[in-house]
Amino acid sequence: MLKIAVMIKQVPDSQDISIDPVTKTLNRSMARNVVNPPDVNATEAAIELKSKYGGEITVITMGPPMADSALLELMGRGADNGVLVTDRVFAGADTWPTAFTLASVADYLGGFDVIFCGEETTDSSTGHVGPGIAEFLGYEQATYVHKTEYQDEHFIVERDIEGAEETIKIGKPAVITITLNANEPRNPTLKKKIAAYKKGVRLVTNKELQLDPACIGLKGSPTIVKDMKTVPDPVKNPSKPGIEELDKIVSVLIEKGVVK
Amino acid sequence: MPDYDAIVVGAGNAGSAAAITMANNGLSVLLVDRSDPPGAKNLSGGVLWGNDLAQILPKWQSEAPLERFIQDKKIGFLTDKSSIIIDFKTKIFEENKVGYTVLRSKFDPWLAKKAREAGATVIPGITVESLAKKDGKIIGVEESGDVITSNVVILAEGINPRLAIEAGLRGPLQDWEVSVGVKEIIKLSPQKIEDRFNLSSTSGLASEYIMGNLQELNVGAFFYTNKDSISLGIVAPMENLRENGITHTYDIIEQFKEHPSIAPLIDGGTVAEYGAHMIPEGGMEMVPKLYGDGYMIVGDAAGFGFSNGLVLQGMNYAFLSGILAGETAVNAKGRNDFTSEALALYRQKLEESYVLKDLKTFKDIRKVTNNKSMYTTYPKMLESILLEMLWERGQPKKKVRDILGSCAADLKMSKLKTATDFYYIYRRM
Repeated sequence: MLKIAVMIKQVPDSQDISIDPVTKTLNRSMARNVVNPPDVNATEAAIELKSKYGGEITVITMGPPMADSALLELMGRGADNGVLVTDRVFAGADTWPTAFTLASVADYLGGFDVIFCGEETTDSSTGHVGPGIAEFLGYEQATYVHKTEYQDEHFIVERDIEGAEETIKIGKPAVITITLNANEPRNPTLKKKIAAYKKGVRLVTNKELQLDPACIGLKGSPTIVKDMKTVPDPVKNPSKPGIEELDKIVSVLIEKGVVK
Repeated sequence: MPDYDAIVVGAGNAGSAAAITMANNGLSVLLVDRSDPPGAKNLSGGVLWGNDLAQILPKWQSEAPLERFIQDKKIGFLTDKSSIIIDFKTKIFEENKVGYTVLRSKFDPWLAKKAREAGATVIPGITVESLAKKDGKIIGVEESGDVITSNVVILAEGINPRLAIEAGLRGPLQDWEVSVGVKEIIKLSPQKIEDRFNLSSTSGLASEYIMGNLQELNVGAFFYTNKDSISLGIVAPMENLRENGITHTYDIIEQFKEHPSIAPLIDGGTVAEYGAHMIPEGGMEMVPKLYGDGYMIVGDAAGFGFSNGLVLQGMNYAFLSGILAGETAVNAKGRNDFTSEALALYRQKLEESYVLKDLKTFKDIRKVTNNKSMYTTYPKMLESILLEMLWERGQPKKKVRDILGSCAADLKMSKLKTATDFYYIYRRM
């Protein structure tokens, strides 16, 4: 029985994000919230591991109260429990206090045999948090993994490295970060989602965790954003198909058997 | 023992209203919607009349995400170069405030949240695969090989009710039953909206037009103000589009936006969203059998919509039909009888309400809205009359009767045809 955690984040759907032409900041107001895409792959990796070797999966996120929908979504796919770490004192955290807080939660929940994370988030793309959690907890770690097996108390993982693939063996407990599209995530089912909504998610605040306020949230964040610049639009390609080309594109897609 | 008293498929206005009604009365309710948050994929022109909503949510005006209350209502005709508009601006609307512009992607998740607060289990992001049947009765829904059972299933699937069609509860959608609505949301600052349309920070404008500037097409258009955006779009009968070989409705919405009376109103705005949706316009003839053993059909799925070319309504019918189906389920639960005979009460309640009364009163309205002259000839005729009457260009004046006669001749309309058209429009509207 493996004790498995998946650390996830709710992010604005990248399709809906625009850059405010005046303030040059990201405009997320129109964006729907979704589970950070590689985190869905991380959850699938956890579910596959559980189905082969047995175990219990807890999905954990730090975020505002509305982030519970992300946990319930993943419980609908097959995770057993959801934990929402939510408290105003955690707000404004960069990757350092985020990793610290999530590691503390993992510890508070009794530790895990393996913690899965997505390789990075689509809204900040640092890839810091997974390795950070491993360091704070003193777990072994493997990053950019697309395949995980469990043998003799060890994890055998295949990781993507520049131009090649590496297979390594790491001990337990471990943090494993999963690449986007590492697997094909199963869909949530109605029955599992009903069970998830019935069960609900567990809320954890700093009242329970008792973390030093200097190490969490905005106060605990060493990153300072000095400036933000927008990259000018690439030169419009005149050969780019206009809307009148749609019919042509559709017929090519049909020809190639991409759509029926 | 079934899993739930009622399963509602679809968290739009009809589905959520049904779920709230039943949950308020102690029934166990499962409300399932394909999108997450629930209802977020729904789309409508955007004017909501809330009398019926007030029955289940009396505080809707202060709680719901509303845009602007309708203070100014316009109906008009467009020709190539002109617009003829009746502008109805009234204190009565301001004093009553029941019509509001809404953005469904905000409003529907709020309504589904209200269903959850009432006690319904609301599950977003799941598309129900099929209805579960046993001995000819609907006994629940199926998804991923699991069957979730209930005493009654309320189908609030919207205009293209796949489950109802596949279960043989209604036939596949026909061209004549629907129109295609194409809509854009155009961002514009509240300041600009309020200055441009002479509005306060809470009041709004709703306009509907007949587009007389298109050849052979019976197209209506709408233009509504939101807090910081404009909702505008066109509505074209599917049959009419097909007859004319039109596949690209975005050309039509572009023509509306470029019309000399519309273009300045959206100047400086940027398109933030666009979408398209079908609208029920088949009237009484498209309404299927509304209930049977273990099921009821509500809202757009039941074809509850009204259009006479200038007025377009459906959300109010959705609320009321959802409430009435909910009440019927509550009654059925009390008697522990969910057979077709017991659920016939739903039809009876609809007959007594304005939903079926409207559809019956206006059963011939399609003959008006399908009358090509309404779109292609009469707007031009109006334009000619007004030009004759209002444009001083050194010509001797004519009596209205003579103006009408010469306009009809210019537009190749016989006096008899014009007279009978007006007679029937008068009778049917």
